[in-house]
Amino acid sequence: MYAKLVFKNARRSVKEYLVYLVTMTICVTLFYSFVSISSKYYQPDIGTEYHFRILGDGMKYAICAVTLILLFLISYVNRYMLQSRKKEFALQAIMGMEQTTIGRLFLAETFVMGMIAIVLGVILGMFGSQFITAMVLSTYDRNYRLMWMLFPDTLLLTVGFFVLCFIVVGLWNLRIIRKIKIIDMLSADRENEPPLKKSRQIPMTIILFEILTVWMLVSGIEKKYFYFDPRLPFPVHIMFWSNILFPAVTLLWSVIWILKNKRKQTAGKSANTQKEDGVCRSGKTTRETLLFGLLLCALLHTLSAAVVPPMQNKYYLSMGTGTVNQYMVFVLGNLLFVICAVIYLANTVLVAWKERSPEHRYRNQNLFFYGQITTKLATTNKTMTLICATLVMAIFLLMAAPVLIGWANGFLEVRSKYDVQISTMYNNVYEEKDLPNGNYEFVTDYLEQNGIETAYDLTFSLYLPKREDFRRRVKYEFPAVAISLHDYNSIREMLGYEAISLEENEFTTQWQAIATADEREEFLKTHGEIQTDMGSLTLAENSCYTEAVGETLYNRYTDVLLVLPDSVCEGLLAVMRDRYIMTADRISYEQALLLEELFTSVYPENADSGAGYYIRMRTLQVNGTKAEMFVLQAVMLYGAVVLMVICFTVLSLQQLLDSAHYRYRFAVLRKLGVEEKDIRRLVFKQLGVWFGLPVIVAVCVAAIIIVYFTQSVSVQITAYIGFDTLFSQMLLTGVILVLLLVSYFVSTWILFKGAVGEG
Amino acid sequence: MGTILELEQIQKYYGTKGNIVKAIDDISFTVEEGEFLGIMGASGSGKTTLLNCISTIDTVSAGHIYLYGQQSGEKTGRKADGQTNDSTRRIDITQMKAKMLARFRRENLGFVFQDYNLLDTLTIAENIALALAINKVPAGEVEGRVDEMCKKLNIDDILQKYPYQVSGGQKQRCACARALINHPKLLLADEPTGALDSHSAQMLLATMQSINGQLGATILMVTHDAFSASYASRILFLKDGAVFTELHKGDDDRGVFFHKILNVLAMIGGGESHVCEAGV
Repeated sequence: MYAKLVFKNARRSVKEYLVYLVTMTICVTLFYSFVSISSKYYQPDIGTEYHFRILGDGMKYAICAVTLILLFLISYVNRYMLQSRKKEFALQAIMGMEQTTIGRLFLAETFVMGMIAIVLGVILGMFGSQFITAMVLSTYDRNYRLMWMLFPDTLLLTVGFFVLCFIVVGLWNLRIIRKIKIIDMLSADRENEPPLKKSRQIPMTIILFEILTVWMLVSGIEKKYFYFDPRLPFPVHIMFWSNILFPAVTLLWSVIWILKNKRKQTAGKSANTQKEDGVCRSGKTTRETLLFGLLLCALLHTLSAAVVPPMQNKYYLSMGTGTVNQYMVFVLGNLLFVICAVIYLANTVLVAWKERSPEHRYRNQNLFFYGQITTKLATTNKTMTLICATLVMAIFLLMAAPVLIGWANGFLEVRSKYDVQISTMYNNVYEEKDLPNGNYEFVTDYLEQNGIETAYDLTFSLYLPKREDFRRRVKYEFPAVAISLHDYNSIREMLGYEAISLEENEFTTQWQAIATADEREEFLKTHGEIQTDMGSLTLAENSCYTEAVGETLYNRYTDVLLVLPDSVCEGLLAVMRDRYIMTADRISYEQALLLEELFTSVYPENADSGAGYYIRMRTLQVNGTKAEMFVLQAVMLYGAVVLMVICFTVLSLQQLLDSAHYRYRFAVLRKLGVEEKDIRRLVFKQLGVWFGLPVIVAVCVAAIIIVYFTQSVSVQITAYIGFDTLFSQMLLTGVILVLLLVSYFVSTWILFKGAVGEG
Repeated sequence: MGTILELEQIQKYYGTKGNIVKAIDDISFTVEEGEFLGIMGASGSGKTTLLNCISTIDTVSAGHIYLYGQQSGEKTGRKADGQTNDSTRRIDITQMKAKMLARFRRENLGFVFQDYNLLDTLTIAENIALALAINKVPAGEVEGRVDEMCKKLNIDDILQKYPYQVSGGQKQRCACARALINHPKLLLADEPTGALDSHSAQMLLATMQSINGQLGATILMVTHDAFSASYASRILFLKDGAVFTELHKGDDDRGVFFHKILNVLAMIGGGESHVCEAGV
């Protein structure tokens, strides 16, 4: 009998469960698709030089961490379902059903719905995992092939996880239903909106913002005192001054407001003529005036703080990473305040607009519409702010993922130019006799034993142009090292570049990708001629080569390598001894691991001589980096989508939870003779504003952050990623956002129309 | 004075074949312009169903309801003395298309309900102005008309307050103001004093009487309270879905009329339980 009731209820209330179903299905889909690649049955063809397990394990932990947020969502959605069914439960209780039984029935009902969501989610998840596979294969430069992925272990994990969630949340609901009084359930839909009590949120936010402003002012003055130089170009002057003046103006504005407000209050007290509500309203208006001013100031702050990193990049200001990070905190803090203020003031602007224009106010049902929006906004200010901030984070995660991944990818290409790369460092060597030398013959033996043929093999030295530079160990004064023309050309040949030539008394330069054009020009301008122990050399006509030749060719803290004639190098001090090998076939993962072990046993990390010996192998590097990159990318994507789902679910349920109020209000409208089509339009407009406001604010703020971010890492973007990738990611972000928005908007709209419908 | 509303053999059934309940069983009556008509009866006698049918919220199973006046859609500038225009037309609201009903309602009828039906998101003034805005009254006229109406109903000092800040009586007067602001042909009141204390009820009824007398509004009030009903000029008593009897106030004073009502109620079987304790 009860089982029948459960299924009947579930079938009847499928519509009521729409948001629940949509949310749970999206959660299951995401979970299944991402976890599927950690399945032991998942073996994509990524080649023997790659090892997939590193990726799988990392992925499992990462996904589990993000999934914890889902628990919050499941409990939130369940709370909504409970709230919307309370009246029905009360009736059942009055008819004599025990509250425990009611609770169990509800548990069974949500469980049935949950199971439907799991089935739907797993089916969608199998499609979703195609997308993840495409991501994996593109990470490992393989072509995409369709893989059918219904893995028993993933399925078990997914079902297990969600069933556990449902049971935990369900038992919690059962407890609530058992404890609640019937009378409270009966009047659940007649509860009033939370009373409009004086919220402390805005005063607290203002105080925090003032503290941030003081911090900005102090650090602005401090930076100007320590780093300012009148010879710096004009834009830098503006930057320094704006970071002092804007915070100062903000504080001044606050002080003026406080003084004015105080005077008004004393005047009001002495005159004692104003009505009570008059005072109240004027108090509120003046606070909003303060907030308007502060909002403008916060935007100016954001601008002035955001220009610091690009200025530093452009004009080589020596303020250091600490300052850049500090200004990043300022930008984020200010933007958070902007979100909070905009949401709060949106209400004020709406009210002001309504007050100012009677034409608009008294047109059709506008009065009703504004009433709906302003009441809801006034009571949900904090939630809206949180939703906005979360959305900003989600958008940023989506946008930043390709930048970070591309960065790592580009870096990987630069780093792993050779199959085996042995490099050395002399930073801790203080005696010339301890400098690295030798030819690493044991590596040759190992390769021969394992039948690995070499296509290119070069052992070479890097020299200091002047012997006295050996003692220069200050970070910013590290000397650039030099390579002989013959060795340089051998490396170029290895990498498939054309050989270069030099006259007897000439030299040229080779640059890291990270060095900017300005840096290169600056160096070449000042180094037309260099002094070496073998006499002076002049810069060749072809003075600059920028092909990627690997990171280990450069000295520490330098981006330039000098290429000198062979005869000159013979007389110089060799400080580093490197060996680059290109094999005919790729070294397998296991062979690479063994070679690495062998190398570290011969050259332990902390040798007595102080010389550092390092081995890098393409196989290991690519494996490690690609797995890390993939996990990072997947987690950012997964996290972003989960955050968006959370935002939209909360937005949607915020409206649906109040449907009892809305049903009453729309019923009044109907009685007043408003036509159905107008009511439908009103509902659409109301939901449009409700979903639109946070999304628009979030998109604007995220745009500011993304511009700031791309400005700060513009060097890396142009070097490794390219703006095209960034734009395509922007498109992808937009598509995901719009898809989720539309699916939630439509489900909410359908449910809402049902809730306020006739009868 | 002309007829403003005419009901012709109205029937309303509920339920399906074999299990039919007759809520209204062949009721016919007319309402004169400027009249204050009360409808009384015990619970289940069909009074609210009747009101719902007149107000087009519900549909009749058989019969016709005619409203006299200008064609729907034309603005009726009703005169204060309650005279109808010469070009009087009869509209059968039972034949009206669903699409037209909302418009008909907002242009011809005003409602006052037991539970006020005010919007808690709007101030008292805005609640009243909303009815004008929905009727597409030019924005420039709205505030003046709201002020004027509120002065008449003595609620001009609470215009900027929200419904939850004022008393039940004030809320109901606001509901009256909202119902009257569009000069409806007919004001329909369903137990308007049901949620009020005796003092507020008395004040509201006095207000309604003055609306009827001074503004010439035609009022149709459903109540089961004899005291409230005594403010009407004529009372229809319903029993089991049919008109049981009719009572005219004529030249009687309210006390006499009240006792007559009680007598009828006793006859119907409602007994003295319908007597409002407030007395007359």
